[in-house]
Amino acid sequence: MKQRTNWGSEAGKHIVLIVGALVVILPFYLMLSFSFKSPSEIQSISGGFFGAQEMMTDHRCLKAGRSEVECTMLPIVYNYRAAFEEAPLLRYLLNGVIVTLSIFAIQVLIALPCAYALAKLKFWGRDVVFGMVIFCLLIPVHAIAFPIYLMLAKIGLTNTYAALIIPWTISVFGIFLMRQFFKTVPDDLINAARMDGMSEFSIVWKVMLPTAIPALLAFAIFSVVAHWNDYYWPRIVITGDHDLMTPPLGLRMFKSDMDGNEYGPMMAAATVIVAPLVVAFLLAQRRFIEGITLSGMK
Amino acid sequence: MAEIKLKGISKSFDDNKVIKSLDLSIENGEFITIVGPSGCGKSTLLRIIAGLESQSSGDVIIDGREVNKVRASERDLAMVFQSYALYPHLSVQQNLMVPLKLRRLSRLERFPLLNWFLPNRRSKIIELEEKVLQAAETLQITHLLGRKPGQLSGGQQQRVAVGRAMVREPVAFLMDEPLSNLDAALRVHMRAEISELHRTLKTTFIYVTHDQAEALTMSDRMAVMMDGEILQLDTPTEIYNKPLNLQVAEFIGSPKINILPAESDDKGEITCMGLTMTQSLRSPKQGDILLGMRPEHTDLLTSNSKNCFNGKITYKENLGSDIYLHVILKEGQHKMIVRTEPGKALDAKIGDNVKIGLIEDKLMAFEKNGQYLPIKSQS
Amino acid sequence: MAHSRSHIWFVGPAVLLMFVILILPIFVAGIFSFTDYNLGSTDFRWIGWKNYEALGKYSAYRKMFTASLTYVVIVVPVSVFLGLGSAMLISSLRFGGEFYKAIFFLPVMATLLAMAYAWEFTLDPVMGVLNKVLDDGCSVGWFYKFFTGSWLGFNPTESWYGGLCSDRMPNWLGNKKYALGAISFIGIWQAFGFNMVLYLAGLMAVPRDLYAAAEIDGANSTWEKFKLVTWPMLGPTHVFVVTITSIRSFQVFDTVEALTRGGPSKSTYVMVYAMFEKGVKQNLIGMGSTLTIVFLGFVLLLTLTQVFFINRKVHYS
Repeated sequence: MKQRTNWGSEAGKHIVLIVGALVVILPFYLMLSFSFKSPSEIQSISGGFFGAQEMMTDHRCLKAGRSEVECTMLPIVYNYRAAFEEAPLLRYLLNGVIVTLSIFAIQVLIALPCAYALAKLKFWGRDVVFGMVIFCLLIPVHAIAFPIYLMLAKIGLTNTYAALIIPWTISVFGIFLMRQFFKTVPDDLINAARMDGMSEFSIVWKVMLPTAIPALLAFAIFSVVAHWNDYYWPRIVITGDHDLMTPPLGLRMFKSDMDGNEYGPMMAAATVIVAPLVVAFLLAQRRFIEGITLSGMK
Repeated sequence: MAEIKLKGISKSFDDNKVIKSLDLSIENGEFITIVGPSGCGKSTLLRIIAGLESQSSGDVIIDGREVNKVRASERDLAMVFQSYALYPHLSVQQNLMVPLKLRRLSRLERFPLLNWFLPNRRSKIIELEEKVLQAAETLQITHLLGRKPGQLSGGQQQRVAVGRAMVREPVAFLMDEPLSNLDAALRVHMRAEISELHRTLKTTFIYVTHDQAEALTMSDRMAVMMDGEILQLDTPTEIYNKPLNLQVAEFIGSPKINILPAESDDKGEITCMGLTMTQSLRSPKQGDILLGMRPEHTDLLTSNSKNCFNGKITYKENLGSDIYLHVILKEGQHKMIVRTEPGKALDAKIGDNVKIGLIEDKLMAFEKNGQYLPIKSQS
Repeated sequence: MAHSRSHIWFVGPAVLLMFVILILPIFVAGIFSFTDYNLGSTDFRWIGWKNYEALGKYSAYRKMFTASLTYVVIVVPVSVFLGLGSAMLISSLRFGGEFYKAIFFLPVMATLLAMAYAWEFTLDPVMGVLNKVLDDGCSVGWFYKFFTGSWLGFNPTESWYGGLCSDRMPNWLGNKKYALGAISFIGIWQAFGFNMVLYLAGLMAVPRDLYAAAEIDGANSTWEKFKLVTWPMLGPTHVFVVTITSIRSFQVFDTVEALTRGGPSKSTYVMVYAMFEKGVKQNLIGMGSTLTIVFLGFVLLLTLTQVFFINRKVHYS
């Protein structure tokens, strides 16, 4: 193709893209910015990005009877401290980590052997099982959330970590993805392992797993992002126990708990929740995009 | 029909000089092949002629008109790609219609839906469909017109690609290794078909390939290209018999020409492996030279022959019509390939000692740097 | 191939979980959809198709269908179009592509709920940035003229923007005329980055030679090449993107629950939210199950349509 660059149209494209980028970034910018600002600055939308950072007085703290000195601080400190103290943000984050990692770990535990069996072992009913996997791929998890909630309520398991984790332990997407990947592994590699005396179990974890690292990584990203951000399921299943809330749910509770004007702390909490994934994404863009895109490729 | 000239064409990708200053004059209606090993720059050269790639310096002149700034779609050249590049979503008939529609119908006439209202369009389309049918008949693909490229075999796709180039009646056809993806038997068949097409259409064909057999059998003239330069431009016969240098001699002809070290004295007499040749150099010079003899100009001699090379068979290739013996010479352990008739070498086995003779008036001599040295009795 | 029984252990847990977690619930929902069970009561009656009939009868459910379908009809084309557009722009840039790609993909990664609150704040009628800008714009000459269309000859005070200037900037999320639009906007904001990435992959897969062939055939302009090569070759990607976006749009919940709770006057009462309200908040298990089944039906329909299209229209080989 011709190598001459049309700088005019190139500039035009950049202009359009920049406008788009500004719209896309807007909420991020505001969220971050407001997490730095004092209530008055928020109300009047002033102070630039970082806010003027003048010492402010926390009226509620005064009302609670503490001294003027204790209750005066920089807005940014106020916001973030309130976020961590009033909502138990740390607790929520911890829950997020526990839930997300547990889900992924169990998913791998269940999906990997199954994928291996479907890809490399011959047994009666293999096609039936694979058909089941395909069929289950069609079922959107939102749809069955409600009946699962019902079943859990009946056995009294709502408001537990188990409730948060168990429905996600079966990842048909993971099985499908890993199976496709495993199919590309040469049979001879496995036969050699068998000849060496390895049990099928060892083969799964010592032979197949190492070769599947790239696919696993993509799967990990997809799973972690989806479950860290998941709001729907925790909203249904955690009805009273604040201690079990995942980050999005916690943020929601924080909002309904706070009295009207605590936008600063709210935005601070939001920033803290959004930050980990965004930072990880910016550091490893390609992996992330691969992972999320693969989720659709089924 | 047009004359195509390349003047001082060079092309660099970053620091890599892919084509060094190159001149080429292509006659109206000729079938010219640009042949060379992979990476020599021939495909790039073709794309420069087509206008798909712009040259770093130099001019492309078509019919007396300099077309450097003219884009590919306006140079009136048609191209057949190695991958065929057929539109997969269109039927064969629609594929063939594309170049016609894009050129003969105005933009308004091509606008979907609206164009139903334009009166002339109907008749124009019928005209174009006629052309497509003609081309299809010439190429014998009429029965494939309704199919999609994905449903065709390699050979059929190739013909459709040629058809798409044909319908436009361009001033020249550019072909970029069109037969590389076909199996051997089909390739031989298609060579003949393409030559036949050239005879029928009488249009200029510029053909790029790495297969020297294709070049030898199909071209009116061939340009041997290596490392971005054209080493020799001549008819196949001339190139085969009188290669300008060692590289050309080694590239053209299969199996490869045998090259042995030799000496010449100040009378021009040539001695090789202790044997003095009957041929001598036209311009005598003392020194070390290289002697070239094609396998088909050697032969197996009976065991009591005298003036010949001595060697031992290391490998025997029986192709049915010919036998090629890979031989290692006693003198200096040089390797040679000898062609002989099946009858003569029936019992030959690996390890046998053999005597090898040469058809001396087909000898070629080269300087150590590869330059061709003319031999006296040859013209 | 192994003859050991190990496969039972490998496949067993997965099969069990698939059955209990994915397949069984469908039946559970199916059964309860024919009852009037609610959590808390001790017994329930079989009421046949009553729940399903209710879907057609009550205006609330009609609004639900309207809201869901309107949302899908707005979000899908726009986010697909933006996805394709941005993919094409980015893939034709000489530099900076990675930068824009990262930015446009951010919304896909960020916790929707958190970002929804950020948007809520932006759209706040009094303190939000949007209304601030629109308000200030009323007094900025060129801005006012442009958005009221007075440069085209229209009477500024009769235009939409002009009316707002003289009265008050709208409460986007609180006004039933605009609420669904606002929610849709947030949905588009979140979705198009994903589509962009899918289209980028599709564009890369188009063989370069086809563009060269098109050029030789006479396709002069970008538009011609787009019509002849790019658009048709993206066929499978199109089907894929549209289906994925449609299914995800049907599943919209976070923004609705956090920002509008289905209102105002049920203008944003989307299906999944209805499922949540009826089944979980109001404990109407029967109705919740019915909604689940209907929702499943829609999604299945969409997916099967995709399979159908992939196999027929877009089948190249």
